[in-house]
Amino acid sequence: MSDLNNIDFENMTAADFETVLPDLFASGDGRVSEDPRLQKFLAANPDAAALVRDLETIATHARSLFDEQPEVEPSDDVWLNIQKKLNSEDEGGPVAANA
Amino acid sequence: MNPIETLPVQAVPEVAPEQAKPKPGLFKRNPPIAGEAEAIEAAKNGDAEAFSKLYALHKRRVYTLCLRMLGNVSEAEDMTQEAFLHLFRKLGSFRGESAFSTWLHRLTVNLVLMHLRKKGLNLVSLEETINPSEEDAPKRDFGSRDLNLTGSVDRVALERAVASLPPGYRMVFVLHDVEGFEHNEIATMLDCSTGNSKSQLHKARLKLRELLRQAQQQSSPLANSAPKEVLQ
Repeated sequence: MSDLNNIDFENMTAADFETVLPDLFASGDGRVSEDPRLQKFLAANPDAAALVRDLETIATHARSLFDEQPEVEPSDDVWLNIQKKLNSEDEGGPVAANA
Repeated sequence: MNPIETLPVQAVPEVAPEQAKPKPGLFKRNPPIAGEAEAIEAAKNGDAEAFSKLYALHKRRVYTLCLRMLGNVSEAEDMTQEAFLHLFRKLGSFRGESAFSTWLHRLTVNLVLMHLRKKGLNLVSLEETINPSEEDAPKRDFGSRDLNLTGSVDRVALERAVASLPPGYRMVFVLHDVEGFEHNEIATMLDCSTGNSKSQLHKARLKLRELLRQAQQQSSPLANSAPKEVLQ
């Protein structure tokens, strides 16, 4: 990974940008589009700015997958299988020994 | 512990109503759940009904985590089953130093990772194997601006795209962006470097962008005729 302290943000090329982008996202709060060091480059490279916005959107929406966790349930078979396994272990396996 | 008879799974609320909205801070957001502490202690002492309550309280979260990490219903159900069997055997070692849901979450993640290693990720180090093949890798350009995702990603499309990610990308993306693990935690879990975790996450997001844009293009015929611009 790159060392952000050694990057010349003023004269950054597209290749430099690609290299530092993972670290930029990993540092701070991940709001790369608001990073003052990048404003000049992003203004001059609208495709790069669009990429940053899209990646921010993806990260934000990913967090909402946790926050608004949908009601995804395993089938009833899962619990039935757990019961079966535990009962069979209880009849002579390690669980009975600890009971 | 008493034999688990054919107990119905206890109907319980997911979280206490006043704590229904998790706080930011991602993985550390594990508010106490009403009745959970009592159920844990009772289950440790062999109360089968209490164990069924723990299952009812945590089955959705465990299953959802398995489903997101594995991208496959049948495997996710098998791993949910394994996670609760493992929980039953290890519950006595839970000392309450972290939230129970955090502990169970980590136990599940470790089981899924073990499962994935058994499936073929154990031959060489994960550092190498989580890198997907060339055709799965995201394209190395910035893409065009004619399809902006901003504000237009819906949950179903994102869930679908995450499920279709290559396993290595999906694992790091789910652990970091969805579940809130830090890169150093992921590196420990996956036995890889922090830099590798960051790099995999970035590639995963690039791949997701590609997948979401493809989906958007397919659902919007007009977008297909839009001129393409690629930053050189």
